[in-house]
Amino acid sequence: MRLSNPWYGFLLNLPGLVIVLLWVLFPAFLLVCWSFLRHDNINPVTFAGLGNYVALFEHRLFWLSFGKVAVFCVGTTALTLFGGMALALSMVKITRGSWFFRSLMILPWAVPAVVSGIIWKWMFSPDFGVISDLLIKIGLISEPLSIYGNFDLAMVGVIVADSWTRIPFMAIILLAALLSVSPELYEAAKVDGAGSLSRFASITLPLIKGPAMVGLLITTMFSFRTIDIIIPLTAGGPGRATYVFGYYIWDQIIKTLNFGVAAAAGMFLFFMTSLIAAVFVYISKRET
Amino acid sequence: MIEKIFGSRALPYTTAIILLGLMMLPMYWTTVTAFKPDEETYVFPPVYFPHNPTIEPFRLLFEDYPFGSYLRNSIVVTLTTTLIVTAIGVLAGYGLSQFKFRWADTLLWILIFTRIIPPLSLLLPFYLLISWLGLVDSLASMILANIYLTYPFAVLIMKSFFDSFPRDLIDAAVVDGCSRTGALVKIVIPVSATAIASAAIITYLWTWNEFIYAFVFTSTPSAQPVTVGCFDAIGDIFVNWNQMCAGSLTAALPGIIFVFVAQRYLVRGLAAGALKF
Repeated sequence: MRLSNPWYGFLLNLPGLVIVLLWVLFPAFLLVCWSFLRHDNINPVTFAGLGNYVALFEHRLFWLSFGKVAVFCVGTTALTLFGGMALALSMVKITRGSWFFRSLMILPWAVPAVVSGIIWKWMFSPDFGVISDLLIKIGLISEPLSIYGNFDLAMVGVIVADSWTRIPFMAIILLAALLSVSPELYEAAKVDGAGSLSRFASITLPLIKGPAMVGLLITTMFSFRTIDIIIPLTAGGPGRATYVFGYYIWDQIIKTLNFGVAAAAGMFLFFMTSLIAAVFVYISKRET
Repeated sequence: MIEKIFGSRALPYTTAIILLGLMMLPMYWTTVTAFKPDEETYVFPPVYFPHNPTIEPFRLLFEDYPFGSYLRNSIVVTLTTTLIVTAIGVLAGYGLSQFKFRWADTLLWILIFTRIIPPLSLLLPFYLLISWLGLVDSLASMILANIYLTYPFAVLIMKSFFDSFPRDLIDAAVVDGCSRTGALVKIVIPVSATAIASAAIITYLWTWNEFIYAFVFTSTPSAQPVTVGCFDAIGDIFVNWNQMCAGSLTAALPGIIFVFVAQRYLVRGLAAGALKF
């Protein structure tokens, strides 16, 4: 019996292929179809051509949500990269008790996103919130703060909460990259008289750039479609201050029940996600 | 001076403790609130260390809300999904990694493509599909959805582990008269137990933590999982925050346990799956 029978590998993949065809590619096909149908649960379903896309691009809320998600995405990705990098850089030198430290490090990743939203709502509670109290204690504010009730601050609060759930993943990727850098490189540089900062800039940074790009790509893509944590935290409010793009789609499906426009918006989300991926792949390819 | 600070051995521990301390604040706050009586929950400034810890919030949670049935639904959905995804994923990962066949590259690309499609985009068509099948408000609807959400990542994790599997071991088994399937069952699966565990644990957690599909597909406690149950409780006009925290803690429990018990598997699996992306 030959091991490299060309059919055997395919046979092993058959059950998975059925899943992917029925569960993923068929719904994706439906998504494309529905984006060309007028299905608003009021009028009879008819073919709409590009009507849904026109409606989408003429919708003021669509553009508003697009602007909100841009701010949200940049804020979350920046905070996640900064936090993840700081954590990874300190964790890589920790030898004693690393198991415990690492467990704490990934804990927020394992909490359901919707539960994170509930937890942060409680943390920032205007009446009994622990964050208000801590900020008062260190003298930054004088009276309790209602961050999710404040039009200007709500976005900051949402970014902090969302980054909290994303920092662990970034830290894991960066830590894995840092651990694979050979210590001899640092020793050699030390002998040559390079300082800590120049060692970081000329050895560490170039070597972890690849994995850092992957972490950035995934964080950007995933925060662009954030929805779980927004639902319990602010539901897009106050006054649409945190009405990100994911929430726009959510509203079309749950509230306005305009399935045609929801499908068109879903297509647009897929297009944006692919665009983000393409940009990152292009940058990584050009740099190497 | 800079050299002294950055070279010191205490610096990494100090920064790690400060950063992790900040990150653990929400976990700490949820945990203490879950064990507080009402009069220590609704005060400002808040009570940092409960004076009279109580399990009353947990008791009320199971009394006032159908939390027992939420938990049962979550467990059934999660175990079924994990079992199916792991079983099919092992076969697919083994096939993709160890055998050269014509459609191998295409299959791999389809899997990566699947990971790029945002789940939120497929929510509507998936809902239409579920309603055509008459599965609205059933456990089956969530099992189907979670298989879609977790399968591609599980296969990519296992493929990347099988890629580094010593090929000689399989060849030797085949020479000794083992069939290819026999080699998979007797050699590959036992040796790769940790890899399979990584994929299974991540599948388990993702399914348990899933919210938006479950929220749209289910409407009664007979099918709602614990994430939806928690959120429904917050929808009330008055939020019982200590019960809410008890519920959140219960919903986060599998995650907390796996993080401490199986941390190595989680880290390896996430890193392997991510770099395949």
